[in-house]
Amino acid sequence: MIREYKFDDKAAFLHQLEELVRSGVHPRRLTVTTPFHVHEVEHILHLRPSWLKLFTLFGAAAGLTAGFAFTIGTALDWPLRTGGKPIVALPTYIIVAFELTILFGGVISFLGFLFLSRFPDIPAIVAGTECGPEFIIREDTGEAV
Amino acid sequence: MSLGTYFDQLEHDVLAAMRKPSKLYWIALVVSAAAFALGLGCWGWQIYEGLGVAGIRSPVGWGVYITDFVFWVGIAHSGTLISAVLFLFRAKFRCSFNRSAEAMTVIAVMTAGLFPLIHLGRCWFFYWLMPYPNQRHLWVNFRSPLIWDVFAVSTYFTISAVFFFVGLIPDLAIARRRFTGWRHWVFRILSLGWQGTAEQWKHYAWLYMFLAAFATPLVISVHSVVSWDFAMSVIPGWHTTIFAPYFVAGAIFSGTAMVITLVVPMRRILGLDNYITVDHFEAIAKILLFTSLIVSYSYIVEFVLAWYSGNPFEIAHFSFRAVGDYRYLYWLMLFCNGLLPLTLFVKRLRRNLKYLFVLSLFVNVGMWLERFVIIVSSLARDFDPYNWGNYAPRFVEIGVTIGSFGMFFMLFLIFTKMLPVLAIAEVKEHAS
Repeated sequence: MIREYKFDDKAAFLHQLEELVRSGVHPRRLTVTTPFHVHEVEHILHLRPSWLKLFTLFGAAAGLTAGFAFTIGTALDWPLRTGGKPIVALPTYIIVAFELTILFGGVISFLGFLFLSRFPDIPAIVAGTECGPEFIIREDTGEAV
Repeated sequence: MSLGTYFDQLEHDVLAAMRKPSKLYWIALVVSAAAFALGLGCWGWQIYEGLGVAGIRSPVGWGVYITDFVFWVGIAHSGTLISAVLFLFRAKFRCSFNRSAEAMTVIAVMTAGLFPLIHLGRCWFFYWLMPYPNQRHLWVNFRSPLIWDVFAVSTYFTISAVFFFVGLIPDLAIARRRFTGWRHWVFRILSLGWQGTAEQWKHYAWLYMFLAAFATPLVISVHSVVSWDFAMSVIPGWHTTIFAPYFVAGAIFSGTAMVITLVVPMRRILGLDNYITVDHFEAIAKILLFTSLIVSYSYIVEFVLAWYSGNPFEIAHFSFRAVGDYRYLYWLMLFCNGLLPLTLFVKRLRRNLKYLFVLSLFVNVGMWLERFVIIVSSLARDFDPYNWGNYAPRFVEIGVTIGSFGMFFMLFLIFTKMLPVLAIAEVKEHAS
């Protein structure tokens, strides 16, 4: 059975959530929806930090590597000296590598967000599930209806 | 008013702005679309006749098109500044402007991106700028600032578009609930099935922070790279080390002015006076004043550097700027960008929206002139007197420039009716 608590007020919602967790309800049996990001919820429910940072780190590292590999690789692929500069002119390649670090880091973070949040949530889109302006706690009591 | 009632009112007011457009809106849209059509017509004529119909020719090979490119990239900057930098600094007033500013960024980068293509003449060869493996294995020159530009501007567009979309997701879910018919379905798909659960908000908050952290150095890098299009050359007036910070400050200055230009009428027409307050405008006016001071300082440093360099070409060039053929544009630029914004030291003027709107128009004009003066006056007078020559834009260039403004305002007007113009979830967070 699902027991639902609805609040217009953030303080009352947080109080109820704390009460539920303190009374021994396991956070996994609680589903919380809020109209905006409420930092306190993560502390009360003991949510682990997001794994998103690993996607960001991987993306940024991949972008940096790709930026240098691409510029150096193409310079060596057809060595053409222009303007008296060295074939592999590293200072100038920093800019391309920097931009690709940002590009890959940002895009892979976004893809990571979609993956971790299970977006696009096709069943929710098809069913037309809505989220309202209230703070809602749904407690799965584990009892049969 | 209880929080629940306030949230309901907020959602109603912001989404009401997306309902049936007023007569004034239609007039603005038609005028913008007509200007855009004029620009397309001029560009089409240039493609048909060849680049010779434009005024650019030796020695001034970069004219109004490159001026427009730098101007629009500059306009794009404030969107990310307001969104990302102010987010990282936890400036609360950002939530009144950030959505409009982010939309402005995406639209301005799209507009800017057209100009290198227009300037190419044979725009169908634009793909030569892309590093792709061709049959001779001859790659693009990564040592050229023009190729850095390709990477910088395309990265800026992609990250800005992602940042804009991510910020929209919770608000699209609100719009999904509030709208019926085809709009409901569009928002249902675009909101990706957002429910606002604790897990979703957790990942969302991390993503938003990372994107803001990426976007902040990106803002600085993009206009620095644009400035290096000039500063990496040896042309007098361009070859200076202050160009990167000078251009970045100028970009933020012009972008902030454009935010004021757009948001003052938008607030009035869409009835958002309660959410975009005079206090918010005062805060953004302070940014305008601050960046104006940096830009004015740069104007002085440019002259001082030239004077103390002892380089006769630099000294001659800067004398030409001040008293030469383009002197009226130069002094008008100084008036718009350096002198007029000083009035913002007066608190009463910072809080006067009509004054701010008019001032922002002057700054827009001044910043366009700044780019024109830098680009054209340097090319018109380089080292060799036999190579000197003045430039004036022709009708096709003026038409394309008007068209770019038409495109920008048309897309912004469409944005105001298609998507929530305020970050509703964020305003709720601050209100709570």
